[in-house]
Amino acid sequence: MATEIKLTRKDFMSDQTVRWCPGCGDYAILATVQKTLPRLGIPKEKFVFVSGIGCSSRFPYYMDTYGIHSIHGRAPTLATGIKLSNPDLSVWVITGDGDALSIGGNHILHAGRRNVDLNILLFNNRIYGLTKGQLSPTSPVGTKTKSSPYGSIERPLYPVEVALASGATFVARTIDVLQKEMGEIMYQAALHKGLAFIEIMQNCVIFNNGAWFDYSDRKKRADNDLFLEAGKPMVFGKNRDKGLVLDEEQGGFKVVEIGEEYSIEDITIHDPTSLENAFLLSQLDYPMPLGIIYQVTKPTYCEGMWGQIQQVKAQKGEGDLHDLYFNADTWEVTAEEEEIKAEVRGQVDASLDEAYIDELLGVEAPEADLAEQLASMTLHDLKPKAPITIRPDALMDHALHLMREHGIGALLVVSPDRHLMGIITEADILDRVAGKDIDLHQVTVQEFMTTEPVALPLYASVLEAVHFMTQRRFRHLPVVDENLHPVGVISSRDLAEFLIKHL
Amino acid sequence: MTEQKHVPVKELEDVVIRFAGDSGDGMQLTGSQFTNTAAIVGNDISTFPDYPAEIRAPAGTLGGVSGFQVHLAEHDIWTPGDSPHVLVAMNPAALKVSLPDLEPGAIIIVNTDAFTPGNLKKAGYESNPLEDGSLNQFQVIPVPITTLNRNAVQDVEGLDKKSIDRSKNFFALGLIYWMFDRPLEPSIEWVKKKFGKRAPAVAEANIKALQAGYFYGETAEIFQTRFRIKPAKLPPGTYRKISGSEAAAIGLVTAARKANKPLFYGAYPITPASDILHNLAPLRNFDVITFQAEDEIAAMGATVGAAFAGAMAVTGTSGPGIALKSEAMNLAVMLELPLVVIDVQRGGPSTGLPTKVEQSDLLQIMFGRNGESPMPVLAASSPADCFDTVIEAYRLAVRAMAPVAVMMDGYLANSSEPWRIPDPDTIEPIVIEHPTEPNGPDGKFLPYKRDPVTLGRPWAIPGTPGLEHRVGGLEKSPEYGNVSYAPEHHQRMVNERAAKVARLADIIPEQEVFGPEEAELLVVGWGGTYGAIHAAVSQAQAKGQSVAQVHIRYLNPFPRNLGFILQNYDKILVPELNMGQLAMLLRDRYLVDVISLNKVQGRPFKVSEISAKIDELLAGE
Repeated sequence: MATEIKLTRKDFMSDQTVRWCPGCGDYAILATVQKTLPRLGIPKEKFVFVSGIGCSSRFPYYMDTYGIHSIHGRAPTLATGIKLSNPDLSVWVITGDGDALSIGGNHILHAGRRNVDLNILLFNNRIYGLTKGQLSPTSPVGTKTKSSPYGSIERPLYPVEVALASGATFVARTIDVLQKEMGEIMYQAALHKGLAFIEIMQNCVIFNNGAWFDYSDRKKRADNDLFLEAGKPMVFGKNRDKGLVLDEEQGGFKVVEIGEEYSIEDITIHDPTSLENAFLLSQLDYPMPLGIIYQVTKPTYCEGMWGQIQQVKAQKGEGDLHDLYFNADTWEVTAEEEEIKAEVRGQVDASLDEAYIDELLGVEAPEADLAEQLASMTLHDLKPKAPITIRPDALMDHALHLMREHGIGALLVVSPDRHLMGIITEADILDRVAGKDIDLHQVTVQEFMTTEPVALPLYASVLEAVHFMTQRRFRHLPVVDENLHPVGVISSRDLAEFLIKHL
Repeated sequence: MTEQKHVPVKELEDVVIRFAGDSGDGMQLTGSQFTNTAAIVGNDISTFPDYPAEIRAPAGTLGGVSGFQVHLAEHDIWTPGDSPHVLVAMNPAALKVSLPDLEPGAIIIVNTDAFTPGNLKKAGYESNPLEDGSLNQFQVIPVPITTLNRNAVQDVEGLDKKSIDRSKNFFALGLIYWMFDRPLEPSIEWVKKKFGKRAPAVAEANIKALQAGYFYGETAEIFQTRFRIKPAKLPPGTYRKISGSEAAAIGLVTAARKANKPLFYGAYPITPASDILHNLAPLRNFDVITFQAEDEIAAMGATVGAAFAGAMAVTGTSGPGIALKSEAMNLAVMLELPLVVIDVQRGGPSTGLPTKVEQSDLLQIMFGRNGESPMPVLAASSPADCFDTVIEAYRLAVRAMAPVAVMMDGYLANSSEPWRIPDPDTIEPIVIEHPTEPNGPDGKFLPYKRDPVTLGRPWAIPGTPGLEHRVGGLEKSPEYGNVSYAPEHHQRMVNERAAKVARLADIIPEQEVFGPEEAELLVVGWGGTYGAIHAAVSQAQAKGQSVAQVHIRYLNPFPRNLGFILQNYDKILVPELNMGQLAMLLRDRYLVDVISLNKVQGRPFKVSEISAKIDELLAGE
């Protein structure tokens, strides 16, 4: 960082009066966050706090940062949108047990799975406070509330276990009364790249007072809380005389006394990179593991997304709107003749890349190239000869005379209004006249012509003409305008000359 | 040598062709190949893929029929056509499903090989319709397509019988190419590109099948007529074929570029909206972030977050998705953030008819949120129009600082038409000014201090020093945006959120009228029914009937002159693919009597249905 950023707790306090119940655990959490953020060296304007609904979700209003108080359970979704759009921001989600694990359960799972680089603080008071005391998804079996007067019959979720199962890469637990430890965990969470999830055991003085008493009370907590430290044996107790040992038979941790049977060397070392151990720790309530339970480094969602953006740019270049619009078969309609020609530019699919690779490798695709070239040229380019026309009621004698005179092999037969009616060719005459006793002065063109011939418009591609000549064995093709008036004739010889000249 | 077979070529103004078969028969592919070629040759085109809801219902059953209808014309066309002139039926079920749409005299090409007793039974035929005279009013052309295709393709090495039979759709395509005098080359090129490298045998089989179909048409003397459609007279320019989904995607990318922002598209897969996501996902090099969310709610939530962070934020879904998104859409209304919600409508209620068209989400979009929650609403009228509509929607969103809805439907999303490709440089930039300085007394930033003209609030984005602020779903005080339930604050904020939407009417264009400014009848529509209504009104005008058309793009707010227009006609007809939703809005807003023409059958309007109603209303005079 070029210039050192000096911020204090005060910089993060908004002008709004904090309105939680007196004695609420939320106050301590708010103060801890406000004290921790200045340590991070991140400019104030880069913090965003997003919350859902519930008591804890008022939190953003009390932070002088960017913030959204959103809707019930959905804070992780907004946070994901924010972080994806601007990965430079430090995005924090403030949520509660009902918000995160009941109505918003799905989003917690997927934020973890994607490893979105967010910091999620789950205030767990095991009760619905804002709606005045109903059981929550973390309430223990038997909890009596207004909505469960005979005791809860639902088994609770354990937030740490859910976070581990979802794939979060930083999972920790802390408690509202231990501000120093809580601050350190938040600091580590903020430094962590990837989804950081912190369960904060928080006391609701009104509806569930003392829910965490075993772990928060000054007298009890030393015996019941296990402070995890990476690489250190998992020892706890006022006299640090108890520890956790992996019990292979039971498949879990067991609590042992350090003394005669077990020495400190026997106590299992905390390895936050072990998912197995983390799951086992998540099952415990005696002792209650506090601190960083699990932490590994994995690619984050934003790295993946923006990495792809950079990668695709490197492959395809910066996106160009013009190219995007034209990335399909296109055709032209021009003003002068309203002539339409095909311009084959390829398909919008993966085959484009294949063709491109072929080109790079010098793989020949001569047919395609030729066809493409022919498809891009029209009969207009071929400059067809002006047609020699004849009326259907003219005598065949006259037709032969015209052919000889002009040295051509075909005449177009047109109606008085210049519509193309047929074609008469040398071949027709050979087929139908030669060898028969026919007086050419007595018969008309009409009787020998081919009616309604295939004719092509000027804008037809040369490829189409080649097709008819080769596949259909036509030697002459009439060319017509849009009113079906003949404007030219193309012979196979014309086509051959054109191909030799141009290709 | 005889140069010509004596099969007359008939010039047609337009023709409607339907390809129908099993969903596994490749009818969509066949139809789209034909469409591509027609476009290259220069016809105006309009298509309507009609695929079954079940991806693979049992072969041969009515539920498994997949159809693709193409309308080709030398003139501008607006709909995929009412009634096919030519039906290609690959099996009895396809024939049975399509028969009610045919008019006497239509040509039916049937694959006789598929008319086995088993298939007839599956389609519910008691006797073979090819033999029992029930098709006498049509021109039936029986072709043993499967057998002919096997003969043509059998020499290709490395293909089993199943793979050989799979190419029979290309035989049918070749036959139709001959019948309509189309070149084979574009499809051959396509096959080569698609399969040439990966599966040369498949490529060879498909090309052989295509050619065999073409030559069969040429040599077998069973066709009395060939057809040719002259190229359409479209305004000059460069054209491509485009579907509504493609147009929407390209339009969104364009808007993002014009707004100088990354595009964030958050969506959950849902028919028929998913194609927009599919079209955007490859465009990472345009700074496109596509977020496939865990559910509809998350898609909307992330979109709101993206808007807060300063991206161009968009989501797309269909009716059931809108229902799930409503709460987060309402949050966007309350936060006053600019974003676009695309609703590709389908048949409802509930899961309804996922693959079928309907326009029944209008009232849901208008009113489907708790509280007083007005949202601007636009509707695209044709596939290509989706491009312009989404750009316009974002312009309005940033002006009013509000979420804006764009209504499409399954028909618009999947249909194609020629699109005159614009020059991207001529599209107006979308100018957005993010504040960098405080706007209040004592250097305070007031997030809800409104622009006096637009009533939009300043869009300060995270990362801007000194403008840190909080927004939320709770009601707030004017200007300061602090939580407030004060009576006068709530009233004022409700009023202002409504007024800024209403004020968009100052800048949206006046409603245009097609036809006389005063007449006996005005036909008012919105959305994807444009083509059918326009064709019907054009025909009526050509007959000399006193009728005009209004097609509304801006459904909220309505164009400022709409009320005035409605007064100039004796009768107002509102055709809608719902039970009268726009009609309800018009009656409420303008106190005019409107006559509804409603259809909810999962199909678009036929031109003839609207024409009949026009005739009926004018005959009553």
